[in-house]
Amino acid sequence: MGFFAKNNRVAPGIFALLATVGLPALGLAQGLDELHKLALKEGGTLAFYATLAQVNAEKILPVFEKRFPGIKINHVDATSDKLVARAVTEARGGKTLADVLQVPLENVTQAHDQGLLLDTNLPEAAEYPAGLKGAYWTSSDLQYFVAAWNTNLVKKEEEPKTFDDFVHPRWKGRLIAEPRDLEMLLAFAKYKFKSDEKAIDYWKKVAANNVEFHKGHSQLAELLVAGQAAVCLTCYSHHYPSRIKKGAPVNYMLSEGVASINATAIFKGAPHPNTALLFARWVASQEGQKVMSQGGRNPAHPKVEPTEKTRTDKTYFITAADLKEFPKYDKIWKEIFKLR
Amino acid sequence: MATAAIPRTGKMTMSLEPALLIPVIGAGILVYLAVLPLLMLFVGSFQAEVAPREFVYTLKNYHAAYASEYTYSTFLNSLIFASGSAGLSFILGTMLAWLTERTNTPLRSIFVPLAVVPLILPGVLESIAWIFLLSPKFGYLNVWLMSLFGLQSPPFNVFSLPGMIWVHSVGQVPLAFLLMVAAFKSMDPSLEESAMMSGANTWQTFRRVTLRLLMPTAGSVLLILFVRTLESFETPALIGIPARIYVYTSEIYLAFNEYPPDYGRGGALAVGLLLLSAVGVWLYTRATKEGKKFQTVTGKAFRPRQFDLGGWRWAGFGFLSGYFLFVVLLPFLVLFWASFLPFFAAPSWDAVSKLSLDNYRYLSGFRPFWDAMQNSIILSTLTATVAMVLTSLVAWIVYKSRLPGSWILDFLAFVPITIPGIVMGMALILLYVAFPIPIYGTIWVLLIAYVTRFIPYGMRAASGSILQIHSELEEAAAASGASWWESFKRVTLPLLRPGLAAGWIYICIVSFREFSTSVLLATGESRVLSILLFTMFEQGQVTVVAAIGVLMIATLLSIVAVFYKLTGKIGIQT
Repeated sequence: MGFFAKNNRVAPGIFALLATVGLPALGLAQGLDELHKLALKEGGTLAFYATLAQVNAEKILPVFEKRFPGIKINHVDATSDKLVARAVTEARGGKTLADVLQVPLENVTQAHDQGLLLDTNLPEAAEYPAGLKGAYWTSSDLQYFVAAWNTNLVKKEEEPKTFDDFVHPRWKGRLIAEPRDLEMLLAFAKYKFKSDEKAIDYWKKVAANNVEFHKGHSQLAELLVAGQAAVCLTCYSHHYPSRIKKGAPVNYMLSEGVASINATAIFKGAPHPNTALLFARWVASQEGQKVMSQGGRNPAHPKVEPTEKTRTDKTYFITAADLKEFPKYDKIWKEIFKLR
Repeated sequence: MATAAIPRTGKMTMSLEPALLIPVIGAGILVYLAVLPLLMLFVGSFQAEVAPREFVYTLKNYHAAYASEYTYSTFLNSLIFASGSAGLSFILGTMLAWLTERTNTPLRSIFVPLAVVPLILPGVLESIAWIFLLSPKFGYLNVWLMSLFGLQSPPFNVFSLPGMIWVHSVGQVPLAFLLMVAAFKSMDPSLEESAMMSGANTWQTFRRVTLRLLMPTAGSVLLILFVRTLESFETPALIGIPARIYVYTSEIYLAFNEYPPDYGRGGALAVGLLLLSAVGVWLYTRATKEGKKFQTVTGKAFRPRQFDLGGWRWAGFGFLSGYFLFVVLLPFLVLFWASFLPFFAAPSWDAVSKLSLDNYRYLSGFRPFWDAMQNSIILSTLTATVAMVLTSLVAWIVYKSRLPGSWILDFLAFVPITIPGIVMGMALILLYVAFPIPIYGTIWVLLIAYVTRFIPYGMRAASGSILQIHSELEEAAAASGASWWESFKRVTLPLLRPGLAAGWIYICIVSFREFSTSVLLATGESRVLSILLFTMFEQGQVTVVAAIGVLMIATLLSIVAVFYKLTGKIGIQT
């Protein structure tokens, strides 16, 4: 797959870290429980800017709060670009209000470009393959973009088998997608078709079926359940098992999909640096990753399996190196679908 | 907090006399609340970020805001949205007002309170309810009409400009209704009577006398509806943005909430919107003041006559009940129904079997909901209290003290009415994010924002009551040796109480449902209910959102119940 071999950035050493921030002086070498004691001295709250959906957050965050009594997570949830915009705004006023950022890697990079993030080298990250960590981030989980459909609106015999099915005109006016999911184009160009032309041609044919766009993947899932469209082209696989359990008329396709990285990072000048470090280390640890998995996410830790069936059989991984090409594919994606 | 930045008045020794000190403090507070943020906004609109946190002064923000490829479409959308909504809510409001005030339509009196009910439905919920009803694919009305008439395509699409106009208009009808009721009430009926005497029938009289008499008022009502639509952000956020129909308020919002945030362009757009709104309000006040000049102030107590609609009165009744059922009741019902569903589904036997109290059970243990509820309640009561205390002082100075320059206070207290909510939010971010006192991100910024925005409402309530108090009562207190403060506390304040209570409740309601300022300022711990609704709706938890909506409406209804109990009438304070 080539995924785990990509990123070969050299993580800065602990001395560099000490020199630049003079922060959690002992934090990295300590166990989580010692760090917990330091964290409690900071007031016992964590400002957590994360896109973690409410349905996942309410299963994951209380486990942390129970494991480390006295610490309350203040989860600020919004779409990823809003969260980064908010952090940038706060930085403009010379303030850092947030401790931890947990959003798609693309948005973590944006925050880094603005000079907002701390270089970290978490001991827990050692167990991760090179492609799942960087100088200032560690992957928290992976998300799989898959196709999902409303079972009332898609007959059993017309259920899609692969993404190739969606060029068929029978899907005209029946498709929805997220306007910002250029990852689909990028991954298809680089890993599915291994050709920009073929990928562009594919998505143009899909575009001819009049795709309707809605922002936010959770909302897309809910629209699909409500019957706004027959098929969602760029939905997250982890949104579906819980809905199907509730009896929602939906199903999803795991034959192929695109995977992208969600990452955790710590803000420079975080108001609660030890608490931030405690959370970042916990969520990267095998223990934290198991909780992520039980909370319905796809763990990034190589030794932890997802609880639900959410990994695709054939997966096109978006790597950290691919991020550089986002602007190029973003432009093409918007042109294909006439998005602003 | 607010009092922290009162400007030093120079020689304090000169006047420890409160009657002189208080106007200065009052002006200081008003300048701080209303003028300082606008100044920051103005400065910010000329700044551009060349590297992270490095700014230069430039005009290019205005170029980006008003000469981009989207300038024209945004302008056109805003114009269509605002004039369409102003027109539609005016027509509906006038119909309701005329039928209930001036005709013999059966049961008209029960429709008066019903027409005002939507006033308590927060704009965010109004939009959500109509999405449930008119969404092209799953909207109940569409699904129902399609199956009823065997239609191939949905008859309505809420995600369109007409959809936005409809949703915003129905939320604004109560305002148009109240303004038009006031107009109909103050109309001299003798002119209509003369027309009838001269042989004109009901329709001719209505068309040629009543309508023409209404023209000047109608103009100013349309203008205020236009401005209020231009400033609104609920419908543009919930329907406009998903439909990719952008107006000024959504452009400002997106400038702040998309990466990279562009304060310069947002600021330039906000300055433009502020100017538009200020011009609108100025024209409105001018028009209403001119109108008074031509009023025939006679001593005779007249009672507007009622038109006999004959058989048509049943058509009037049909219109009123249809309006009530479809426009007032249906949105409530659809929210109520959806709040019991596990996920959004059309009414069916299958769906009925899925109904449960799960969403409410979920909310009972859902911390963000209780935090937001607490914030909303604290904020709305505090805002109402602070605003009423402040404005009763200011109103007293303006109307009673006869101090030179007190008109400045009156003017300053009026300034916030021209500031659109989203512009206020943006200005306060620019001001407080770099403020030495760390209140950014807390509910105190929201308190400052709400108090500032609702000062004009408070002024309206307070000045109305203060003008009614004859100064001889205060003079008597002074003659009996009471100090200024004692006289204010023991004479003026008790007399003001009923008027202030009405103002207090009204500000409480508008603060509780406030959205367009909060959307930029509320974050994490300072999140209020309307913002929680918005985020959760964006996240797709639509049925939980419906349950929150039901609880929110219940809270507002209890506030209104208190209001009725205290004042026994519905008033107009816009």
